[in-house]
Amino acid sequence: MKKVSLFITAFLALFIGFVGISKANEVNIFSARHYDSDIQLYQKFTEKTGIKVNVVSGKDKALQKRITEEGKDCVADLYITADAGRLGAFQAKGMFQRGASSKAIKAVVPKNFRTAYWTGIAKRARIIYYSPDRVSDSDLRGMSYEDLADPKWKGKVVIRKSNNVYNQSLVASLISNNGKKATAEWAKGVVANMARDSKGNDRAQILAVAAGEADLAVANTYYLALMLSGKKGPEQQAAAKKVKPFFPNQDNRGTHMNISGGGILKHAPNKANAIKLLEFLLTKEAQQHIVNNTFEYPMIDGVRPHKLVVQMGLDFKQDLKTKVSSYGRKQADALEVMLAAKWK
Amino acid sequence: MISFVVAIPIVTVFSSFFETTSNYSYILKDTFLYDYIFNSILLLAGVLILTFLIGVGCAYIVSFYKFPAVNFFKWSLILSFAVPAYIYAYSLTAFFENYGTAFSILKGVFGEKDYNSLIPKFDGMIGAIISISFSLFGYVYVLTRASFHYQSQNLIDLGKNLGFSKKKSFFKIILPSARPAIVAGLSLVAMETLSDFGSVSFFGVSTLTTGIYNAWTSFDDLALANRLSFYLLIFILGLFILENLSRKKAQYHTPVKENIKSKPLVLLTGYKSFLAFSFCFFIFLISFLFPVLQMLYWTIIFPKHFMDLNIIKLLFNTILLVVLSSLVLIFLAFVSNYGSRVSKSKLLEILTTFSISGYAIPGVILAVAFISFISWFDNNIVSLLEIKTIKPIFIGSILGLVFVYFIRFYSLACNGIKSGYLKINYSIDESSYLLGYSKLKTFTNIHLPYLKNSVLLIGILISIEIIKELPITLIMRPFNFETFATTAYIYASQDLLEAAAAPSLFLIAIASFFILVTSRYILKD
Repeated sequence: MKKVSLFITAFLALFIGFVGISKANEVNIFSARHYDSDIQLYQKFTEKTGIKVNVVSGKDKALQKRITEEGKDCVADLYITADAGRLGAFQAKGMFQRGASSKAIKAVVPKNFRTAYWTGIAKRARIIYYSPDRVSDSDLRGMSYEDLADPKWKGKVVIRKSNNVYNQSLVASLISNNGKKATAEWAKGVVANMARDSKGNDRAQILAVAAGEADLAVANTYYLALMLSGKKGPEQQAAAKKVKPFFPNQDNRGTHMNISGGGILKHAPNKANAIKLLEFLLTKEAQQHIVNNTFEYPMIDGVRPHKLVVQMGLDFKQDLKTKVSSYGRKQADALEVMLAAKWK
Repeated sequence: MISFVVAIPIVTVFSSFFETTSNYSYILKDTFLYDYIFNSILLLAGVLILTFLIGVGCAYIVSFYKFPAVNFFKWSLILSFAVPAYIYAYSLTAFFENYGTAFSILKGVFGEKDYNSLIPKFDGMIGAIISISFSLFGYVYVLTRASFHYQSQNLIDLGKNLGFSKKKSFFKIILPSARPAIVAGLSLVAMETLSDFGSVSFFGVSTLTTGIYNAWTSFDDLALANRLSFYLLIFILGLFILENLSRKKAQYHTPVKENIKSKPLVLLTGYKSFLAFSFCFFIFLISFLFPVLQMLYWTIIFPKHFMDLNIIKLLFNTILLVVLSSLVLIFLAFVSNYGSRVSKSKLLEILTTFSISGYAIPGVILAVAFISFISWFDNNIVSLLEIKTIKPIFIGSILGLVFVYFIRFYSLACNGIKSGYLKINYSIDESSYLLGYSKLKTFTNIHLPYLKNSVLLIGILISIEIIKELPITLIMRPFNFETFATTAYIYASQDLLEAAAAPSLFLIAIASFFILVTSRYILKD
């Protein structure tokens, strides 16, 4: 018995030894956006300021749940994620505190992409890709997201599943602009036009157009650049060249924009450091690093996107009318209309 | 006590019935609920049939026949275990997708042409069934093989004397007497299948698990998610009870150990030998070589990702989790099994069965239920004692991780040891008591040596499960703490499967190492 209790004591000691002990000059990040390049940026931040950056990365909702349940004992300062809807929904739960709009941040981030609680760090657009072999310029002239439901595209559209958050934000923006009823009809039209049941990620949609399974795909901008960069191998690079990007809704509100962003958590023990880090991420140096690695659009002026992104075209009209902060409120409605339309 | 700990998530999940849910439940009912249920059942049936055929088939061939490389297959077939379903899914997709690896190979061999429409696409339901089956059939294979190994030769001889054909003795003697092992294997497969999220979501198959996830992530309705997982749980418990009932009082003890005669192996010749070889090789190829080669291919083409890995740190973290958790699990599984055997208490037995459910709840839900419970406990009970909060000790710590692993894999440990125990006749205990051995001494001197192999087996199973585990590790881990599994996930979620290849290979290598080291001991007798 003695041996057993000794064993247990030794065990407990070992465990407790691994419980993190809070240090003073640090900032703790929960991140649902996990690029290697972000980690390199944090290292640069530490070199500059001496503030240590600790990271837990994971799935969005799981991290949110952990933050919520840990409550005032949560040591995380900053929550970083892709998609404005997620940030908005988390803000609605009262999990952020004001501070994400310091003077420095306000000075560089356009109003549409920040609130008092969180700010965008990088932008992306959700656009249409088409096959130039099978779709002519005149087919596309003046095309909008709304037109994806046009019966003339029957059997020609691919888009990923309804549980994807980028789709939910896109549909949320449609609900904001056209109302829930009209969007429900639209979703039925899109489902009727699908070339196949929704499956795969954004890149798989682009590949489907390249392979001739469909003529139009809906996907985020950085995926095409990723394929063109050769990081996915020569076949995909060649496939990407068979597909062209199209920026919808140029005749009216503009193309649907989304962000990666971060907010300061309600019980952040290192609020000042968290603000410093956000401000750092919005400096020219950091923004250049982000756009070069993730193929997103910069959040601030005066930074040139990656040349593959420039190639896709920069002079398109962005939808600055639909606030990205409204996506969160409409996402549940968006999923509801998609599910009702039998969007897988 | 153990049952209590393991019951934490179930209680939390159950308590969701008293919370309000959003209107998602209505939407779900109107749209996809029946689809979800249908898909879950289809997936389960597909996986169970496939794992049964492959697992029992391989186990039978390598246990009763002799053909070229049979000793190699005995252990190499277990290697499939080292490949998690999600990594299998990555490989399957990467190989067969438009402009994927198969495309490159065809182009390399036959020149530039459009092969995309010629290449079969293993996605959707079929992809999910294949990925899950090939990564899980090892359960059925290992447990069945062990059971064949200890199978009483006397029975088979008896069958022979009665004039049973090979086919008849297989269906009438060999298969039925391996039933507890086969069922144990299949039920592990069933639970992992129903709680799998990684590969079904990767393939876009809408199962009940997807419904659970949707309820939670999109409608923010954790209560409904809990409720759905509770139904899932009831369903699985139902399966268990059904099996228990059908087994009734039949007992599957082998006689005393010394009585096990080594079985005369049937030497296969000619086409039969070739068939047996091909079957085993095919399974080995598909289940292990295929994903490993795909990952290797990427690592070689994109060596930069390999250079970027901090291998020593990842290795240390992975091993740390494995060692701590498997020790705790095996120790406590022993205690509880021994307890229920000695006391013969019905209540304890029921509690043990109940505690098995941790395995059937999706990992994310389990971890979240645990976090909710700790937070509730801290707010309502610990705060009364006026001590500081206990949350940091349990959430975002190694201890917390081990705790949740424990809840999740307890059934694995418990069932494995139980199936070993079932083979020790009660009369052995009784004789031992008659000889004046104490209960503890019976345990250390008789049970332990007898169960050595089961324990080893279970130890490997748990270690491998933990190396592969993803959702719990992701949410519960401390700051700046990565394992091979989390690193692979992080790359995969950036859509850089190429970069996920190197950590995946390491993960597979460590798991394979565990298998190889121990397989010698398992195969020795």
